[in-house]
Amino acid sequence: MNRIFWSIVGKELIGFIRSWQLVLVVLYMFSVEVYIAGSGIEINPRNVAVGYVDGTAGGLSQKILTHLHGPEFLAPRRFNSQRELSRAIFDKEIIVGLVFDADFEKKWRQNKSAQLDILMDATAASQAYTTLNYLQHIVLDISKVNIPVDIVTHKLFNQNADNHTFMALTELLSIITMLSIILTAVVFVREKEQGTWDLMLLMPVNPKVIILAKSFSQIIVVMTGIVISLGFVVLGIFNVPVNGSLSAFLLLSFFFVFAGSGIGLFIAAVARDVMQVAQLSIVVMMPLIFLSGAWTPIYAMHPALQYLSYISPLRYYIEGSESIFYRGTEWIDLWPYFMGVISVGGVMYWIGFRKIGRLF
Amino acid sequence: MRIGILKAYIRKELSELLRSRLIIMVYLLPTMLMLLFGYGIRMEVTHARIAIIDNDQSRLSNLLVGKFEHSKYFDVTTTVMDEDEALRKIKQAQSDAIIIIPASFEKRLLKGQTTQIGVYVDAAFPSRGSTMESYVQGVILNAASALIPSAPKGSIVINQRTLFNQAMRDEDAIVPGLIGLVLLVAPAIIAALLIVKEKERGTIFNFYASPLSKAEFIAAKLIPVFLLHSINIFILLLWALYLFEVPFRGSFWIYWLASELYILVSISIGILISVITRTQIVAVVLTVMVTIIPGFMYSGIIMPISSMVGMSRYEAHVFPVMYYNHILYDVFLVGEGLTSQKTQLYLVILAVYVVILLSLGTLWLRKEIR
Repeated sequence: MNRIFWSIVGKELIGFIRSWQLVLVVLYMFSVEVYIAGSGIEINPRNVAVGYVDGTAGGLSQKILTHLHGPEFLAPRRFNSQRELSRAIFDKEIIVGLVFDADFEKKWRQNKSAQLDILMDATAASQAYTTLNYLQHIVLDISKVNIPVDIVTHKLFNQNADNHTFMALTELLSIITMLSIILTAVVFVREKEQGTWDLMLLMPVNPKVIILAKSFSQIIVVMTGIVISLGFVVLGIFNVPVNGSLSAFLLLSFFFVFAGSGIGLFIAAVARDVMQVAQLSIVVMMPLIFLSGAWTPIYAMHPALQYLSYISPLRYYIEGSESIFYRGTEWIDLWPYFMGVISVGGVMYWIGFRKIGRLF
Repeated sequence: MRIGILKAYIRKELSELLRSRLIIMVYLLPTMLMLLFGYGIRMEVTHARIAIIDNDQSRLSNLLVGKFEHSKYFDVTTTVMDEDEALRKIKQAQSDAIIIIPASFEKRLLKGQTTQIGVYVDAAFPSRGSTMESYVQGVILNAASALIPSAPKGSIVINQRTLFNQAMRDEDAIVPGLIGLVLLVAPAIIAALLIVKEKERGTIFNFYASPLSKAEFIAAKLIPVFLLHSINIFILLLWALYLFEVPFRGSFWIYWLASELYILVSISIGILISVITRTQIVAVVLTVMVTIIPGFMYSGIIMPISSMVGMSRYEAHVFPVMYYNHILYDVFLVGEGLTSQKTQLYLVILAVYVVILLSLGTLWLRKEIR
């Protein structure tokens, strides 16, 4: 039994390595893709393009503008008229436009309330919100309003709200999800397509061993990718802090990849050819990836979808990974994530396992 | 191009596509993604769970707590516990932020002395952390400035006008971008398997042996998918307009033209992948890699391209989704149309994409055994 198991695993691994294109693509995803996402994507307002029209002589207005500096803002660009400014906003070259009227400074000096017009491109909603908040702070600062409250903010676990490490990790988790589902599904469906799957099930070998071995071989492939990506990119280049235990993460990953291959098994059982696998896995994967809390927050979602997200193993995996890397949560407090991944993943694997193992 | 042969081949391809259960998926997939994401993706942070530790229990501190309770952004629990316990709650991800009001809060305020309010934000999700931070600060500053008796001299009033999306509705900001994402992923994944499937099964030899030219072969593969997916343009538009109630300020013709071009780009990406790969699995993984995550990242849903730096800035310009989405947002929310030179330029760029991708595909397609 044991010998059969390992020889099937070996056969699948050799099959994987023989296809150099596949090896290359998988390696690329685990390294370069993670690197690109981590190095350049910024969800916080960073490099917000600011433009302004200044009708005043430029004392107070310049003072306000000097507050808009990097890394949040690009150097403000001057426009000669409001029309030019709006045109630039329409073309998405500028996100925030400030308009200083001719009597802006005069009014302020006369102790009247001066009005600062701000034009914002609200299609970039989150940037717009935060930028507005920023400007309000600056204006409060300048008009010397004395508020007797001092707010001391501590950002826990990630003091600078550094997005790079976070995005690299998010991308890695997304890639793990995609590969564990697709690779497993295709390994089975290819046999179905070629007609060898029925033969496999009819062989005098326990079909359960075959299924386990085949899916286990793909789990090995993904786990290897995870280790490579962790070593070279996530920890090597981005220095993601490891406040918790790395072995906890690897263990959690292993269970998650198992869950992913369970989903893959299910898809393989339903689909008849690779084309259907591709379509089904996209329908399953994209909601999993984008609605499990890595790219967008869960709490703001439609309530029905929030409940649905409980059956996504990725949700537990993401929160668990964040806890391990940033919050430094101890083993004992990690049990909800392990429970979540194992129970949801276990059920999915079991369903897929049953379905693909049936001959008729 | 010989029209008669082409017609026959297209008929064969079309009936093959229709015969599999695929046809449902062609229309189910975009609609499902649109609905799920349209309701699912929200960029604002609402219902952040904050714990307020009110050590003062005075009238003013209650007032402040009340301000938080009335905000739709927060779900407040007021507790008395020590800081370590609160910190543990954050570590267990049961709380997103903690606000600590000191014991002498009211007394010091009434005397005009400065008091400190401690705010601890969980920044394990950085963007959510910063957003929560600014919300918390906003609430406290608002409450505080309401308490100050006389308006200060020479104040500056911010008069903010948000363009294109006056109500700051998340739907308006997200749904047009979703169309760009869906129409990139769905056509590409079908097209990506069309040729490589024949390679794996060996039926590609029919093409090798037939007098069909390479261009005719690609056209025959491309046109059925193109026709099937053209209908999705209208289905998605209807969802956007009537379900998500996104305004439509531009010209319908530009939307149509740009979308057809974009579908062509997407199919051409798929065909190119199908030409260069040897096995279906590689084609699937490669297509997923170049469409799903880039399509989402560079769609402008989560961040504007102008804020990107380094490699991802270049990558954003390489992927066609950026150009199409610019036109989409223009058509839905801005309504500049062809008067904007950028829209004209981007339409041309999309057309150039089609030409380049298809000629590469034709060039690299082999018509003999290697």
